[in-house]
Amino acid sequence: MNTSGNLIEKIYYDDDIVKKFVLATMIWAGAAFLFGLIAALQLAYWPMNANLEWITFGRLRPLHTNAAIFAFAGNAIFAGIYHSSQRLLKTRMFSNLLSKMHFWGWQLIILSAAITLPLGYSQSKEYAELEWPIDIAITVVWVIFAINFFMTIRQRREKHMYVAIWFYISTIITVAVLHIVNSIEIPVTFLQSYPVYAGIQDALVQWWYGHNAVAFFLTTPFLGLMYYYVPKAANRPVYSYRLSIIHFWALVFIYIWAGPHHLLYTSLPEWAQTLGMIFSIMLWAPSWGGMINGLLTLKGSWHLLKTEPLIKFFVAALTFYGMSTFEGPLLSIKSISAVGHYTDWIVGHVHSGALGWNGFLTFGMIYYLVPRLWRTELYSKKLLENHFWIGLTGVLLYYTSMVVAGITQGLMWLAVGEDGTLVYPDFIETVVRIVPLYWVRALGGFLFIVGFVMMCYNIYKTIKLAPKEQHDAYIEVSRSGYDELTKGHRKLEGMGAVFSVLAFLAIAVGSVIEIYPTLSLHRYVNPNNIVDPYSPLELAGRDIYIKEGCYVCHSQQIRPIASEVMRYGAASTVEESMYDRPFQWGSKRTGPDLSRLGKKYPNLWHYSHMLDPRAVTPKSIMPNYPWLAEKKTDFLVLRKKLSVMKQLDVPYADDVVANADIYAQKQAKEIAADLESNGAPKGLEDKEIVALIAYLQSLGQKGKVQ
Amino acid sequence: MKSEGLKYFTDTHLTAMGLLIFFLFFVGVMIWVYRKNSTEIYAHMEQIPLKDGE
Repeated sequence: MNTSGNLIEKIYYDDDIVKKFVLATMIWAGAAFLFGLIAALQLAYWPMNANLEWITFGRLRPLHTNAAIFAFAGNAIFAGIYHSSQRLLKTRMFSNLLSKMHFWGWQLIILSAAITLPLGYSQSKEYAELEWPIDIAITVVWVIFAINFFMTIRQRREKHMYVAIWFYISTIITVAVLHIVNSIEIPVTFLQSYPVYAGIQDALVQWWYGHNAVAFFLTTPFLGLMYYYVPKAANRPVYSYRLSIIHFWALVFIYIWAGPHHLLYTSLPEWAQTLGMIFSIMLWAPSWGGMINGLLTLKGSWHLLKTEPLIKFFVAALTFYGMSTFEGPLLSIKSISAVGHYTDWIVGHVHSGALGWNGFLTFGMIYYLVPRLWRTELYSKKLLENHFWIGLTGVLLYYTSMVVAGITQGLMWLAVGEDGTLVYPDFIETVVRIVPLYWVRALGGFLFIVGFVMMCYNIYKTIKLAPKEQHDAYIEVSRSGYDELTKGHRKLEGMGAVFSVLAFLAIAVGSVIEIYPTLSLHRYVNPNNIVDPYSPLELAGRDIYIKEGCYVCHSQQIRPIASEVMRYGAASTVEESMYDRPFQWGSKRTGPDLSRLGKKYPNLWHYSHMLDPRAVTPKSIMPNYPWLAEKKTDFLVLRKKLSVMKQLDVPYADDVVANADIYAQKQAKEIAADLESNGAPKGLEDKEIVALIAYLQSLGQKGKVQ
Repeated sequence: MKSEGLKYFTDTHLTAMGLLIFFLFFVGVMIWVYRKNSTEIYAHMEQIPLKDGE
């Protein structure tokens, strides 16, 4: 008993699971950074693609983003949540078994991603590329995590839920909602599926998911970690607890609406674009509320930057958070988006958040955690300092090179001369100009990795220094806050279930209002412009396009901007992508838009272009795709594919579904004969290249009103 | 173009509801946070991470 009469209990925190997640964070961070560096070099120097399908940019880039978000950041979040929640709630995690199932399940999911993505099993949905069996596994593991977490809350000894716990709750609830809604798909084979959403529906759902993956996977959990680890490292309370409450609710409520800012100037209905823009601008306030609260926590303690250098990582992380949450709303303003969208500016913006905010906060957290978990001292503060400065130089080089590249390219695309023609009509001119900046970006990434390697060595030596025998130490705690509840205080923060429901409602309002209207697709479709569905061979080609990740470099969406219409043709309409599962509007243009590509070039041009892009565009940085001329198209599976499409209301005749393979082979023979007559090798009719050419030649050719 | 897009969107009651819910919710949070006699409890709350014995 303590002096106030409360029972003192001895509890053992489960630090073993935290150690596991910390080590997994570091292992996957290495993988994510390395994939990123290779991808950066591939863009600067195309032979780095090595003519290997498994590591070609289109497949490597999703591997990099998935590794960075779900493997590196994911494990970091779990390490921090498992460590801080036990201490904030004064209890051990609810179940050791569930903790272990969560850990190993998550690592298996990452491993399956690392195997399937290079093999080309991808849905081509940004940050949700993994195929349906893995989607189901993610759901199961997330539910295990949720049960473990909420049951831990239930058995807590501290009645008051500190604000970090709020952020964890909103993360767990929202990620579950996002993942489930975005992943509704119909399986075609064991590792292929079609989403139930098409065209603008798919675009909206995907970016509702995509933006909120940033919001609720890379922002809210990290803010929760910030609210725990910054006060701990500085040994002083958060600057303003009131501000943390206001910024939590405002952030959770507003963030969910902002997704459509990724779709400005597309054929998404104007009202949805405007809604996305307005809510994005509103986000400035709560985001900066969080940043200010974090930074001002150090008010009066700046001397700690010298004595506790790990705080440098937190300060830099918060500064990058402030910078990227200033830039995000800025890029959501339509006139700014016209310049930045589809360019490397977005890539720079994303990486200032990922490397600066998520990366540095995680590094700071690991430097804080490892000596405590292993009960020793950090091996070298000097190495930590060096890591910080080299890493910071890397991020700054990365960011500035990409912003300069993006603005340069964006302005070059928009440039129209006094005579009313494009100043840079050849797209390749705008690419060649920024290649030197791609080298600077690769250098920045390399420096970031050098810093990370220093950290790995430092952590390795720290763990080696630790006592060999690591006995679990108990901690004495007493229940607190429960007597206050009877006085009517803090009911809301004391009621975990009610709080969780409120957090759910906060994200549900925006989600429903944003997505519901576009589920009635017919409202936006002009009956006169309805398009024909893809032929069976074209659909096979489209799936190859998706498999190769072409969407990461090419868009299929012409914006209603004068220069764009002059460069590519008429602006895209809702109808053109009404059967596209998934939509392929793209989010980055390393190459030109392809919406009006069909019939622009002969079949042989496409054949040469895929096998050696430099044969038709001398300075192209696109990889070679030699395997497309060797691998065979699976014709038989087309019956199943068309049948699923028909189930999804794509108007295929029964005869076409039943004989899809025969129709496809007939069309393939025609294309192969044309290729052969123009000098290509014989026997291409069953090769993937022919199916892909069929798809590319169909782009922009399906409208009934041309 | 805006009016072209908006004419297909007839669910204005949805956005109005969203606005109302957000506004009322936000006002509620502000009142809750700045209500009388709350300073003491926030002083306790902000100390929670610093009193976990580590």
